[in-house]
Amino acid sequence: MKMMQRFLVFLAIAPMTILVPSGCSKSSTDGAPDVKVELRMSPDPPTVGQGTATVTLTDKDGGPLRGATLKLEGNMNHAGMKPVFADAKELDPGKYEASVNLTMGGDWFFLIDAVLADGRRLKRKIDVPGVKSR
Amino acid sequence: MSASADKRSAYADRRADAGPPFFDLLRLPGVGWFLRQRWARLGMQIPLLLLSVVLVWHGFLGPDLAPKNLATLLTWVHYRGLLVLVLLVAGNFFCMACPFLLPREIARWIFRPVWNWPVRLRNKWLAVALFVLLLFAYEYFGLWSTPFWTAWLIVAYFAGALVVDALFRHASFCKWVCPIGQFNFLASTLSPLEVAVRDLNQCVECRTKDCICGPPASETAADAGRLALPLLAKRGCELALFQPMKVGNLDCTFCLDCVHACPHDNVGLVTRMPGAELAAEEPRSGLGNPLTRPDLAALAIVFTFGALLNAFGMVSPVYVLQAWLSGVLGTTERAPILAILFAVALIVEPVLLLGLAAWWTRRATGTALSLPRLATRYAYSLVPLGFGVWLAHYAFHFLTGALTVVPVLQNALAEIGWPVLGQPNWEFTGMRSGSVFVLELGFLTLGLVGSWIVAIRLARKDQPSAPWRAYLSWVVLQSILWAAAIWLLAQPMEMRGTFLGD
Ligand code: SF4
Ligand code: SF4
Ligand SMILES: [Cu+2]
Repeated sequence: MKMMQRFLVFLAIAPMTILVPSGCSKSSTDGAPDVKVELRMSPDPPTVGQGTATVTLTDKDGGPLRGATLKLEGNMNHAGMKPVFADAKELDPGKYEASVNLTMGGDWFFLIDAVLADGRRLKRKIDVPGVKSR
Repeated sequence: MSASADKRSAYADRRADAGPPFFDLLRLPGVGWFLRQRWARLGMQIPLLLLSVVLVWHGFLGPDLAPKNLATLLTWVHYRGLLVLVLLVAGNFFCMACPFLLPREIARWIFRPVWNWPVRLRNKWLAVALFVLLLFAYEYFGLWSTPFWTAWLIVAYFAGALVVDALFRHASFCKWVCPIGQFNFLASTLSPLEVAVRDLNQCVECRTKDCICGPPASETAADAGRLALPLLAKRGCELALFQPMKVGNLDCTFCLDCVHACPHDNVGLVTRMPGAELAAEEPRSGLGNPLTRPDLAALAIVFTFGALLNAFGMVSPVYVLQAWLSGVLGTTERAPILAILFAVALIVEPVLLLGLAAWWTRRATGTALSLPRLATRYAYSLVPLGFGVWLAHYAFHFLTGALTVVPVLQNALAEIGWPVLGQPNWEFTGMRSGSVFVLELGFLTLGLVGSWIVAIRLARKDQPSAPWRAYLSWVVLQSILWAAAIWLLAQPMEMRGTFLGD
């Protein structure tokens, strides 16, 4: 009897240690998967310090997407650092520019969050690896 | 000589003539009271187990972005940082509170392990290999940058402890397997607190030796009716440390089983001179004389050189070196490149440097000890410096990033639709890296001085007339490593997972 009781307790707790990882990570959903997003950093290769991020949005036929409101969030790929935020301005049709301050060398990624002219919400993650330290 | 005088000399410990301990944490109200309770360890393990479950859950199902995931943040910034800081100011409290052992305690309700750990494996070689493997996996998988693999690491830890200790008796996982445990054992040689007897004379009179044998069967039987027994059972030291013959913190998990078992309330958590045990010669319970054990010395070496390697892995020169190696080998495969780097840093370099230092000591002192035996003996003098490097490195990450836990937690709660902490405020970070650098220099220098002292103490025994002949080469070696560490930590940080092929 006692054995049974113990076994049940064990059964209840064991899965905690053998948690089967279900599913992959879900990044916040992208409402405009057909839009092509390109990110260019200058200087190129990207270097620690003040720089410019240029995001190009094109539709599936390659035409520029105007009139989006676009926010950038830069992070390093390790924990424990403050992200950098920037609002991008449309300089040329479909070309959005933001000034960003890369605070440390290493691998970065940018989260791009845009509200398109047609009202859809676009979310992408773009890697910017190997930012050079000075 | 009477039997008890005989025993007393057998129990001769540095403390024997030092009088009663100056400070005993267990005698304090509050903390001391808590630690004296039999459920104290459990009371720390349960919250940490729950926290681990949260980390594993977030690691697998939360955002796949290291800076926004609790698994990567709390493991690589908070856990590591707090671990080394607590070891520095107190002792091995992270082994004490270790949640990995909880499933194992529960498993032992059902599986009474019958095997003893194989005699051939009763040394630290397996643990040395696993320690290196962990460092390797850290670089290879870029563990700091992936919540998924970090969560797997936590799961693997739970599973490892569960399986090993379900099969083997005593604390086999802690003593012979766990790489974090070995790290803590070595680092805690520099801790100010130690589990030790209060009055050696009491041990001389003691007949039952419950601290190692566990309480008598009659007492165990009286307890046996209670459901909670296996979790709160009194037992003797599972790491084979017999209190009156125990020296220092090596192999001690601060589990306090001995404290609860001793019928004479004769075990305390007392202050001592940090690092002194690294030059202590007397045979130790459960360990023998470390100064003659190559496996433990190898652990000390991997601990020290691994500290430098781990710090090297996140500054920019490492990428120049790796790119060069990649060109020479004509491959962008990371495994062989990392393997070469590891072999050089953890085998070639230590063999050369320690060999050279030992050679000098041998020549200058004319000792009969062979080079490997000299290197084994003096390897322990590197531990304080090694600890200084770990401290500087991990304290850096912790102090500069500790507060990011606020927005990450806010974000995690907001994402599961329960934003009780409000929207994430990413302004929270930590100290500025400039001011932390001063602290890093302090840790490194403290480590260097500690290393000098250990080397000089050993040398005084080896060559009382002219100790400098014995220690000079070691002091020089330590100073070189110290300078290398300062250079490393002054390099621009460049934390990268993908150093090739971009
Ligand atoms: S049980 Fe207590 S008194 Fe007896 S040997 Fe152990 S520590 Fe000393
Ligand atoms: S029982 Fe052993 S491992 Fe636990 S605190 Fe006592 S000496 Fe250390
Ligand atoms: Cu680091």
